[in-house]
Amino acid sequence: MTSKVFKAAFTSSLPVLMGYTTMGAAAGILLAGQGNLAHPSLWGLLTSATSISGALQFICVDWARSHTPLLQVAFLTFCLNIRYAMYGLSLLERLKGIPIWKKLYLIWTLTDETYALEVENKTPPGESSLDYCLLVASLDHLYWIVGVVAGTLLGSALPFNNQGIDFAMTALFLVILTDQCRERNNRTPAAIGLVCALVAKIFFPVEKMIIPAMLLMLGAFLLFRNRLDRQEVQPNA
Amino acid sequence: MPENTYLFLMATTMAGVSLLLRAFPFLAFGHAKDGGHPPKIVTYLGRVISPAAIAMLVVYCFSAYFKETPLPQKSWGMAELLAGLTVIGLQLWRRNPLLSILVGTILYMFLIQR
Repeated sequence: MTSKVFKAAFTSSLPVLMGYTTMGAAAGILLAGQGNLAHPSLWGLLTSATSISGALQFICVDWARSHTPLLQVAFLTFCLNIRYAMYGLSLLERLKGIPIWKKLYLIWTLTDETYALEVENKTPPGESSLDYCLLVASLDHLYWIVGVVAGTLLGSALPFNNQGIDFAMTALFLVILTDQCRERNNRTPAAIGLVCALVAKIFFPVEKMIIPAMLLMLGAFLLFRNRLDRQEVQPNA
Repeated sequence: MPENTYLFLMATTMAGVSLLLRAFPFLAFGHAKDGGHPPKIVTYLGRVISPAAIAMLVVYCFSAYFKETPLPQKSWGMAELLAGLTVIGLQLWRRNPLLSILVGTILYMFLIQR
């Protein structure tokens, strides 16, 4: 590993540095603001280091508060992060034959942003692209942990009225949804998710609506597969 | 369940499921001779579940605001609606997630703390 490859990896990761530290800090502040956690920084450190997932980092604050059943935790984690499985599919070839520990670390640290940087692959000529990817992955990993932990410390230290700060989570999901709906192919699935959630909300209390909503969604997707799958083939208008 | 036990199990579940998802293609198709082509149904569901799950979470988050206080006593959800529309509008306009989240949240905190 040379300083040249480090410099390249660090330069590419700068936008992620900005994004992860600020977004992580927001999630950390939320976790500390939850109030009844004895050691928010410790839990922030553990969850950010092991899960490395933005949406989860926000929603786990809600889980920690209401002791959401673990089955539901597993189910929602699955639905939120299923896209990571798709990223892996496109990396299958590239990661073939590399040492198992390095492979495992690259798989473990796969996020939207890290994936994008690894695919972009700005390895300087003559350097190892594996080194480059490992550096990008560890830098991004570090930024995320630092952001979340700093946020928990900040949140515990700042004496302000934080009522309503949990809207940050709602806002995050609205932002992701808005961006996803820019792409035409995502609009019908998003609408199906919206309708299924509303139907589930009518029949179940809010803390029990997730699983019925997911089942409705799966049913709808299997039922309308012919029509929805056809959308994929159309060029993006 | 004691607080720390729950939090530990929660963190383990989140991390375990995330890792399994990330590793899934390598576990399932890593050894295939054709370089790994997953069944079409897998790619299809993977593509459509993601936006649907996010839309569902939006409904979930908004419903949670009215769990304890019914609609009329919360000014019919005006604060939530206003802050939500601000987030969407800003994101459409500036495409800056942090800006949209920050402005939306501060507006919401201002509206409900008055």
